[in-house]
Amino acid sequence: MSLPEFDFHAPGSVDEACRMLAEYGPKAKIFAGGTDLMLDMRRRRILPENVISIPGIEELKTLDLSSGMLKIGSCVTIARIVKSKEVAGKWGALCAGGKALGSCLVRNLATVGGNIASARPAADLPPPLMVYGASLVLKKTSAERVVSIDHFFTGTGATVMAPDEILTEIRLSEPPPHSGAGYLNLGIRNACDINILNVASYVALDGPGGAIKDARIVMGCVAPTHVRVLSAENLLLGEKPSEALFERAGEAAMNAATPRGSAYSRASAEYKKDMVKELTVRTLGMALREALGPAS
Amino acid sequence: MKKLIRVTVNDVRYEVAVKPNQTLVDMIRYDLGLTGTKNGCGEGDCGACTVILDGTPVNSCLVLAMQADGRTITTIEGVEGEKGLHPLQKAFIEKGAVQCGFCTPGMVLSAKSVLDENPAPSEEEIREGISGNLCRCTGYLQIIDAVKSVGK
Repeated sequence: MSLPEFDFHAPGSVDEACRMLAEYGPKAKIFAGGTDLMLDMRRRRILPENVISIPGIEELKTLDLSSGMLKIGSCVTIARIVKSKEVAGKWGALCAGGKALGSCLVRNLATVGGNIASARPAADLPPPLMVYGASLVLKKTSAERVVSIDHFFTGTGATVMAPDEILTEIRLSEPPPHSGAGYLNLGIRNACDINILNVASYVALDGPGGAIKDARIVMGCVAPTHVRVLSAENLLLGEKPSEALFERAGEAAMNAATPRGSAYSRASAEYKKDMVKELTVRTLGMALREALGPAS
Repeated sequence: MKKLIRVTVNDVRYEVAVKPNQTLVDMIRYDLGLTGTKNGCGEGDCGACTVILDGTPVNSCLVLAMQADGRTITTIEGVEGEKGLHPLQKAFIEKGAVQCGFCTPGMVLSAKSVLDENPAPSEEEIREGISGNLCRCTGYLQIIDAVKSVGK
């Protein structure tokens, strides 16, 4: 199907893009990687009057690790995240999320910012980004603000971003010692697939072999947005990690999940709930193995 | 409104007037007449429209023609050298990796990108590298054999 008609703009800087957004108002749409937007436009789900193309803006393509913190420009492609040894070394679950996205062709276009800002509940990057406690930089002509990704999504396709704001950067602190994270996604096939379910888990231990002092579990595809499972997280805090404990956390996650079951959501609600438990237990195991280090 | 863009395709410079809602695959096929690039699903799932854009293989159905302004593209027509077919193309013929041929241009370009980045890819890396290109005829094994036979 052909694309609807729109005007095309390719600003050279973030400032220029912000000015365009302010000028054209809510009928303008940011084009980052385009891998979602092109489909939405073809299917007439999104009909922008003005398309503002930002993948050519250099300042949005920096991957900066100089401050110990990981700063990802919103137009860094998924392919770059997947291929980055630094990202794989410290933020392995993010790398795993990237590898699970689309195919290598799609990953060459799709951007980190786009995977967040499109706010799809089955997206691969939000769960790992949420367990790593990412913050997002939002810019507009007059101001800049930083919001936690925990408070970013308000519904399917909906976020706290104002129509004149652009997501410019994703910031991740370096995970503390004795911490680890895991990400798993469930689908029918490995490439070009929409997740049936995805879960990321993170644990930080109080020293080698110590109790769990911080835990985060995030699941996708079970609600209109990605959700943190606070009940399961709280159950882990202060406890020594064990298989039995992770089973209990998995059950808590299963009970907290409220998936919609229909052909449209790719699996029945019962199946999804069972798999929430399974993926939670498995990703907690992955997180623990990373936290304990290579000697474990 | 149409706008004039400049692109280099297979080492030839073109100036093309394109519409804002024109995709790169449509520009390549209809304005440049290079019909080796196929338009399949139009959604980035099948990979038939694969081209190499500034050294990176992409789905040209997901790129707007205007976004290609000033950039360099290789299509399947640019893979053949002065000495004839590219070794990868010869391997596809030898190993029976072509049946209906619709996926072949995209498949060859994705495989070429794998080999350009790593001349000795593992089978896993080959499979990963062509994961965005669907083939409904061969079952992929002959394609993987062909790429392996060119890899060192």
